[in-house]
Amino acid sequence: MMETMEKIREIMTISIFEVFEKMFYIFLEPSDGMYDDYAVEADIVFDGPVSGSARILFSLDMANAMVQNMLGLEDDEITEQDTEDCLKEAVNMVCGNLFGKLDSTKVFNLSVPTFTRQPESLEMGETTHRMDFDSDDGKVGVIVALSHQ
Amino acid sequence: MSFNVLIVDDSKSMRGVIKKIISISGFKMDQCFEAGNGREALNVLADDWVDVIMSDINMPEMNGFELLEELRKDDLLKNVPVIVITTESSEERMQYALNLGAKGFIKKPFLPEDVKRILHEVIGVGDDGDYGEDSGDNDDFDF
Repeated sequence: MMETMEKIREIMTISIFEVFEKMFYIFLEPSDGMYDDYAVEADIVFDGPVSGSARILFSLDMANAMVQNMLGLEDDEITEQDTEDCLKEAVNMVCGNLFGKLDSTKVFNLSVPTFTRQPESLEMGETTHRMDFDSDDGKVGVIVALSHQ
Repeated sequence: MSFNVLIVDDSKSMRGVIKKIISISGFKMDQCFEAGNGREALNVLADDWVDVIMSDINMPEMNGFELLEELRKDDLLKNVPVIVITTESSEERMQYALNLGAKGFIKKPFLPEDVKRILHEVIGVGDDGDYGEDSGDNDDFDF
């Protein structure tokens, strides 16, 4: 499982960079430290050859920048629904991209993404991996948890 | 010549992005219809003719595969080209969509150029430089 997690960590980094650059015009870089004040998160559950869940956490300024860039809106035009819709689409794209790169010959099922304000526990478990990213527009965190199979 | 387009995606944001990209790509669009799933798409198609359908796969109520199956059963609609725009990356599922009649794929995330290219490939727009009033080099998309 450690080997799988390491592979997912590597590909997840590539996938999140690609999605943020292409769809949100935001250039991320790995963060040295951990940020613990994320404002919103979008989650997805996956199953297939590898099963588990992915949480992507966003600082408020990052979430707003993503919606503005994706939809071409001004700050005061953004609705809560826009934010939720946009961030759910982001986690969907990141994970779809991840599994395509992990093994395109296998079928992975992705759940309908969910959206949460004020993310709760960011605690790590034995089968959990966390990555934090920075950009000029704000901060993003990714927590991937694998299920025992 | 102008075209009618139907965009099928459960994400309103994604429908907006695709619509905007089609517009700025110079593609001459007459009407752009939107649907949140396959069922809504069939309702649109019951009343309006479209020249191309751009559809997601993973959607609630009726997904993109089911939409393709329904279109294939309809003598009038089975020839409307469908371009699948999806996060789905498994070769098996892509082949399944092609077997059901999809004419092309765009994987999310995509660039505006990808949308322009697939429209060109699938419905031939641009073959005669017919990209509408702002035809020409329009590769530098500025949002």
